[in-house]
Amino acid sequence: MKKRGIVIAETEELTIGYASRRRSIRVMEHLSVSAGSGELVALIGRNGAGKSTLLRTLVSLQPAVGGKIRLHGRDLHSIGSTMLPRIVSFTSTEPVAERNISVRDAVSLGRFPYTNWIGTMTDADREAVDHALEDTGMLTLAGRRLDNISDGERQRTLIARSLAQDTELLVMDEPTAFLDLPSRYGIVSLLRKLTREKGKCVIYSTHDLDTALNEADRIWLMDGECIIEGAPEDLILSGTIARAFESPLLSFSSKEGTFSFVRGRRKGIALKGDAPALSLTEKALGRCGYAVDQQASVRVKVQTGPEGWRWTLAEGSETRSFSTLYELMVHLPEE
Amino acid sequence: MRERLPSLKLPLAMTGLFLVTLLLFCADILFGGTPLEAGDVVRALFGEGTPESKIIVMEFRLPRALTAVIAGAALSVSGLLMQTLFRNPLAGPDVLGISSGAGLGVALTVLTLSPLFAITADSPLQGWGMILAAWAGAGMVMVIIMAVSSRMRDIMTVLIVGLMLASAISAVVSLLQYFSNETMLRTYVIWTMGNLGNISWQQLRALTIAALAGMILAFVMVKPLNAMLMGETFSRTVGVRMRSTRLMLLAAASILAGSVTAFCGPLAFIGVAVPHMARLLFRTTDHRTLMPGTALFGAAILLVSDLISTAPGGGQIIPVNTVTSLIGIPVVLWIILGKNATAGRR
Repeated sequence: MKKRGIVIAETEELTIGYASRRRSIRVMEHLSVSAGSGELVALIGRNGAGKSTLLRTLVSLQPAVGGKIRLHGRDLHSIGSTMLPRIVSFTSTEPVAERNISVRDAVSLGRFPYTNWIGTMTDADREAVDHALEDTGMLTLAGRRLDNISDGERQRTLIARSLAQDTELLVMDEPTAFLDLPSRYGIVSLLRKLTREKGKCVIYSTHDLDTALNEADRIWLMDGECIIEGAPEDLILSGTIARAFESPLLSFSSKEGTFSFVRGRRKGIALKGDAPALSLTEKALGRCGYAVDQQASVRVKVQTGPEGWRWTLAEGSETRSFSTLYELMVHLPEE
Repeated sequence: MRERLPSLKLPLAMTGLFLVTLLLFCADILFGGTPLEAGDVVRALFGEGTPESKIIVMEFRLPRALTAVIAGAALSVSGLLMQTLFRNPLAGPDVLGISSGAGLGVALTVLTLSPLFAITADSPLQGWGMILAAWAGAGMVMVIIMAVSSRMRDIMTVLIVGLMLASAISAVVSLLQYFSNETMLRTYVIWTMGNLGNISWQQLRALTIAALAGMILAFVMVKPLNAMLMGETFSRTVGVRMRSTRLMLLAAASILAGSVTAFCGPLAFIGVAVPHMARLLFRTTDHRTLMPGTALFGAAILLVSDLISTAPGGGQIIPVNTVTSLIGIPVVLWIILGKNATAGRR
């Protein structure tokens, strides 16, 4: 087992929200969480739970209403504005203003805290940019313009920019939003690689529970009133995940750590056959309102033959055979 | 792509552009409304030749060409600053009503204050008075636009507000015209046509100082300008102080656009179009290259416009404003159509 790293970021009795002269809106109070080096931390919670607010407060884009934030053991307030960008980098969901900018120029801007008043790149700066491009797999696309690459590649560019900024803590607001499944997985495994190989501490918010529960070392779960942290499996075991996300339509399986739709009252159906079609058939039958019950009068058998999979539907003495699951579903007896 | 080749390509493009601008500058002195032999022009530049040619060259053509260089550079850089500041490719002194604001300042001085205090066109007081009034007008509109664009993310909303402001201002100016006397009215109407030649050495000095100040202020801001290409949130997280940066950029853009507009009248579409031409030529978004590039390109374009405007000869002159519009409008249309074409493909 990997030893827990040095604490990079921690909050103590933090209150986040928006304060103005007249009144303050507290989004959430008593937040005490931490994240260590070499850790991938996924911040999850339902829409409007305050995920972005927490992340923006962590990187000092908005002030905390109360409580403390410590980065590297130093109070956030005591870190100057020239020092802070060397400690923490932030990737927001804000669209890039100039989409004609090249990938390399965009990543080079990550060196902003280190360059002189006019932004001259030294050899060391250029090297850092090259490394960042290489680590994110963007080196071959470095000359392309941001509006000529895919959404996933654009997100990689932003991660490279964060890497070029050379901070130990990387905070990202929904880096996998709007991405398809393979790109989403690609981004999260890249983040994971950065924590393992570079010892970075990455905190990212996401709605993609599946990947978060599978890949993150630590989950920060924002659940209406409070924040709960722990390894994904700890939160599953304690039933925290189920409590936070279950709804009349959604049930959580603690055994597999996945969500599924809640089905209404079910009819019984007897099911026999060979894997892997067996479990898929059960899934399809479930969608049609059937639960497996070997004593039922309606029986389905699935077998593989010379022409591929075949399904046999038997009801009393009547027997019919189908070559696709779709046909079987169409011919299932109704109420 | 300027990938891996900047060491060679960039200086080449910059030198080329510089030489072209220099050539145009010489051409602008050699050719003008009244025909003069090239030899006479050169002699006049060195203080020799006929008194007539000396007056034409030293009092008209040289200040005119210098004005074109300064005004072209200043307006274009002002446009570049505004495009980055407002995250809007269509931003520019005239499009957002900044020129109108400067015009209001000028109208107020020319139409109301000057007759009141009996200030003549040649007095230095009018030089700086007009500049200050134009700055104030330009700055006022800029602050309004800034306030709107901080609330409205939508580019079109900001542009429409700019258009409305320009209309409102022109209505106010019409009202002023109604109450002013004929001589002042004529001065003002001639000013609105845009004129590079109506500038005295004294006024040219004021314009140069103001434009230089604006340019220096702009160039000091190249690093934050580059960060702003990635968006405001990013800029803030790498340590850009947005409030003061915005204020500095607003000041620089107002000084540049306001000073030029005060003396040369509204020169349409230079500020919007030239930064895009420079981006196309240098193929970069880096302000360290774009800013000098845009300045040179703007000088070149205004010199060309001036050459065209004096081309008919025999004392006939096409208003510069007309020429710059004819050059700038196709570029602006190309931007709008190009942007929409890409949006449609998505």
